[in-house]
Amino acid sequence: MSSADFTLIREATVPRLRRLRGHGLTIVAGLVVLAILLLAVIGPSISPFDPTVADAEPFLPPPNLSAWPGLLWAALSGAGTPVHWFGTDASGLDVFSRVISAPRTDLSIAVLANGFALLIGVPAGLLAGYFRNWGTETLMRVSDVLQSFPVFISAMILVALAGQSTVNIVAALAVLYSPIYVRLMRAEVMTQGARGMVEASRALGSSEVAIAIRHVLPNSLGPTLVQSSVTIGFAILLTAGLSFVGAGVRPPTPEWGLMISNGASGIMLGQWWPSVFPGIAISLTVFSFAALGDVLERAYRS
Amino acid sequence: MASHSRRAARTLLIGLGSLSCLVAGATGAARAADLLLLAEDVPSGLDPDGPSIALPTTQEGMVQMLEPLIDYEPKGPNDSGFVLPDFSKPRGRLLEAWDYDPKALTWTLHLRKGVKSCAGNEFTADDLIYTYGRALSTSGAVPNAWFLLNMGSIKGFTNDVFSTDKAVADAAKKLGDGIKKIDDYTVVVQQTEVNPLYFVNMAVTISQGVFDAKEMQKHATAADPWSHDYANNVNLPSFGAYCLERWVKDSQISYRANPNYYRGKAFYDHVVVKKVPEAANRLVTLRTGQAQMVQGLNAHQYDSLKDAKGVKVEGVLGNEGLFVVMNFKTKPFDNIKLRQAIAYAIPYERIVQVGYSGQAKQWEGVIPSSYPGFVKQAQPYSTDLAKAKALLAEAGFPDGKGLDAYKDAFKLSYVSEKEATLGPVVNAISTALRALNIPVTLDPIPQTQYGDRQIVKKDLGFAVNDQEKPIGVDAGYAMKLFFVSKEAGGINNMMNYANPELDALWVKAKIEGDPAARNKELADMQNILMRDVAWLPVVEFKTQFGLSDKVNGLTWVTDNSPRFYDLKN
Amino acid sequence: MLLRYIGRRVAVSIVQLLGLVVVVFFLIRLMPADPVARLVGLNASKEAYAQASHSLGLDQPLLTQFLQYFGLDGRGGGLLEGHLGVSWVTNGSVLTEIGQTLPVTIQLLTLSFIITLLIAVPVGIAGASRPGGAFDRGVFVYGLFGGSQPEFWWGLMFIFVFFFKLGIAPAPLGLVNPMDMPSEPITGFILLDSLLRGEFDVFLDVLWHLALPTLTLVFILSGPIIKMVRQNMVRALGSDFVLYARAAGLRESTVTRYAFRIALAPALTLVGILYGVMLGGAVLVETVFSLGGIGQYAVRAVLAFDYPAIQGVVLVITSISLGIYLVLDLVYAVIDPRVARS
Repeated sequence: MSSADFTLIREATVPRLRRLRGHGLTIVAGLVVLAILLLAVIGPSISPFDPTVADAEPFLPPPNLSAWPGLLWAALSGAGTPVHWFGTDASGLDVFSRVISAPRTDLSIAVLANGFALLIGVPAGLLAGYFRNWGTETLMRVSDVLQSFPVFISAMILVALAGQSTVNIVAALAVLYSPIYVRLMRAEVMTQGARGMVEASRALGSSEVAIAIRHVLPNSLGPTLVQSSVTIGFAILLTAGLSFVGAGVRPPTPEWGLMISNGASGIMLGQWWPSVFPGIAISLTVFSFAALGDVLERAYRS
Repeated sequence: MASHSRRAARTLLIGLGSLSCLVAGATGAARAADLLLLAEDVPSGLDPDGPSIALPTTQEGMVQMLEPLIDYEPKGPNDSGFVLPDFSKPRGRLLEAWDYDPKALTWTLHLRKGVKSCAGNEFTADDLIYTYGRALSTSGAVPNAWFLLNMGSIKGFTNDVFSTDKAVADAAKKLGDGIKKIDDYTVVVQQTEVNPLYFVNMAVTISQGVFDAKEMQKHATAADPWSHDYANNVNLPSFGAYCLERWVKDSQISYRANPNYYRGKAFYDHVVVKKVPEAANRLVTLRTGQAQMVQGLNAHQYDSLKDAKGVKVEGVLGNEGLFVVMNFKTKPFDNIKLRQAIAYAIPYERIVQVGYSGQAKQWEGVIPSSYPGFVKQAQPYSTDLAKAKALLAEAGFPDGKGLDAYKDAFKLSYVSEKEATLGPVVNAISTALRALNIPVTLDPIPQTQYGDRQIVKKDLGFAVNDQEKPIGVDAGYAMKLFFVSKEAGGINNMMNYANPELDALWVKAKIEGDPAARNKELADMQNILMRDVAWLPVVEFKTQFGLSDKVNGLTWVTDNSPRFYDLKN
Repeated sequence: MLLRYIGRRVAVSIVQLLGLVVVVFFLIRLMPADPVARLVGLNASKEAYAQASHSLGLDQPLLTQFLQYFGLDGRGGGLLEGHLGVSWVTNGSVLTEIGQTLPVTIQLLTLSFIITLLIAVPVGIAGASRPGGAFDRGVFVYGLFGGSQPEFWWGLMFIFVFFFKLGIAPAPLGLVNPMDMPSEPITGFILLDSLLRGEFDVFLDVLWHLALPTLTLVFILSGPIIKMVRQNMVRALGSDFVLYARAAGLRESTVTRYAFRIALAPALTLVGILYGVMLGGAVLVETVFSLGGIGQYAVRAVLAFDYPAIQGVVLVITSISLGIYLVLDLVYAVIDPRVARS
């Protein structure tokens, strides 16, 4: 009996319930991620107010819950003036418009940063996994050092000193997140090196490069995707954190962390809406990405 | 296994619960004569010539312990309880009396007797000589003390101290006969020309405070003869109302009242200033009564305290103002009509309401309106969009056409750390100007970079500034500091304004002996500055503090730091 | 064999540290920023600027500055002697300042991690032992949720609810009541010092002030750790040798114990990594609660372009992280002989 048969037996003994667990979670997470992706594309176009124009009265609270049905009806039927669904902030900017326009900023930074981290990390990791010489050892040690850099502080330094621009944030995050993928790919190469089909291919005489491209890379896609969704979530959190301390995106660009930071002082005064809504948005978004990552992980494992 | 862990979890929760009950009782309450002030930072150094002198929070520590030569009589509280000084009535602090000889250009200073320092030493002429000697040595990181004496035209305080020729520089750093000790309580100071700024600057404690020389010299070393290291890291020995008790940089500083203080021991024996970076946390702690004073909140937060029980807000329209910098060396800001167009487009009232919760008023001149010699512009700028559009057309940009070529110039810079206060202001300005098709974008930059570009490179094209104020109570001080061209001796002319007409008036006013004539010359200068929109003054805003209801006596000084000595129940 | 591995590993770490020093130094100084202007404040003359630049040592060539920093120029002081330079903002020794702020962060993190492990491990195991059950589902969701939260926002919420609205938490003013005069430090760790001196009231007071920040950190740290413990327990429980153990008839509790040992290793790795990450990552919590830890120090240093302080902080934190990785690798080498051979 091969190890593949044992795998089959093991799967059969797992209660079926386990596969269905998280079904509801999967749906919710998927919907949220789709919604965020959609907002990243059309958000600023459908917002009732221009997210960067500050001419309303500041600190307007959101309309009473009882008024919502009437206002929704008016909005949908096209009558009536635009409503500040989530109220306004300290400058008089509309919170709702900014919350739905923020995904474009946050998501593009996160996806781009992750993309570049992959571009750097995957080839490096493959090399390090396959060739065990002093060159790759150095690479791993450098990657170690990079990974032990305090991520938040390093990002802050890079952005604060090089200038607050989206490009700099993406670059900083890409550099800081690439060691994760180096390690991941290297580990994948090493684990798969022991797997049945790889051994078989070697026995058949395939070159290491061919094995790398035809077996290891596609098989690593799973863990890479899983890690990507997690990393994207963390990148959003990091961007928000940087903006919170003032080393991130420039105002008045709509960005969730920036909104929380600007509204933080208002919470103590009872003006909760400029901070709470973006906080809920980040919370939901990153959670959904993490949940998605978990779903992908389970899908690729079976 | 699961039940084990559940039991463990329960025990843990009960344990935590009882722990919190125990601890709640252990927190001590403040004693009666204690004051806790929550600030955005605590002093990073205590040396007036040290690297952190430019920080207001550092200045706040120094002024509690340093004693100046003079200050001003208090005028009585304004409607919020803030006591204001009467700038027409200087009074002696370390000086008992002073005589000025206009022909010899000398000041005879009669020092007060019986003044004891924290270390117990008595104030004599030696301390003043030491202080001036230290200033002239420019041995610190920043020649702060020297600067104000140079501005006052004191003999011997020349730019030679910075000469690259070592022999010249060393000679210049030695105190000559510009400062003469007559006896233990009399000193004569020589000026090189008529200049009222020497006297005015005496009141600027953060630059001209007097050291306890004996104590300072105890901590001198061969490498550091003027004890800069000691003053920056350990203590500031002087004759002031408070003595340093404990100082943890970046965390807190605590003071004890000087029992020997010549004006009487302070009411608050023990004052602690704690660094709490989040303004919201400072606010909330004041409201619960666990602190007696807070600073550094934005206007909106102070506003919320007005209705709160047990706390009050005291504010004064002192010398703080917000203005827009438009650099004459950055096109298209050399176009006076464009500058005036922008001046008519600024939404002054909205900024007062949105940015300062009404605790401000439009600034209609270039020096603080509370200063003697302030002159209001005859026809002040106001928010008049029609006039703005007309001037924009006159400037050559009808309806904003052609301004897109200058997109980079219209990046509105401001200090990013001040996002909470300046955010609403810059958003209002940006929105208003964009409505006229002026392509404004926001550009927050860190304080250090802002300072670098403002002061050294002078290349801030378009910026908002709320942290410059003339600390010497004199219109001439402001002129020399901000408006006179660099060639004519201007120090902080951040907009590269160079107007020969203005400079000529300054040459006259600088040495003008007759106060009436001087005021006229300064008034003419102010009108020129407003016409050319050298600065675009937007609002003067209140300097405010949050206090417990029980704390009274807060007095305003031009450096905007509270003096703990003035506070009492 | 093992000794050779240890020796090699330590040598590599030292090389990494050296490389780190060089990279950090040059990287920061090559940035387009000018910290001199902050000194110059009230004065703006060219002479004042030149003097300030000289006092910071910035008017010398880069290589000379580096040698000075390292301590190789014969002037004494410098990295080789353990000096981290002098802060440009406070003029105080960076080493001293880090020595005052680092213990705060370490105490916060250690406390948070201990409590997190105390909660996460039993919960993770409980969830794994009945996979698919309601409790497990809840655990799983929480594991995902906690690790994906903006801790600065939750910190603010906690302050608002527990301090402002309910009044049961202390004011967010730091570790100790500022009106009290703490005694002279022995180790620098106030929790240890107060115990060593028998000042139990101080000990409890500090724990009290750490309650909310710890709660915030536990909330977000427990997420990934619970997830990892649960995941690894599930994997361990489904592995070959557990299958064999069950087939051989061992009791379930024994099997769980064996599985736990396997699950623990990756969890400890995660804790080690997270500790290093949080050394710098705790800055947001430290700022919100004004604790005065190394994260807050780093923020101040970065915003003020205080190069020596920035270098000092990055060096110290990265060194600690490298140290943790080294220890983890060595522990693995001891546990699993295969590692030393690779």
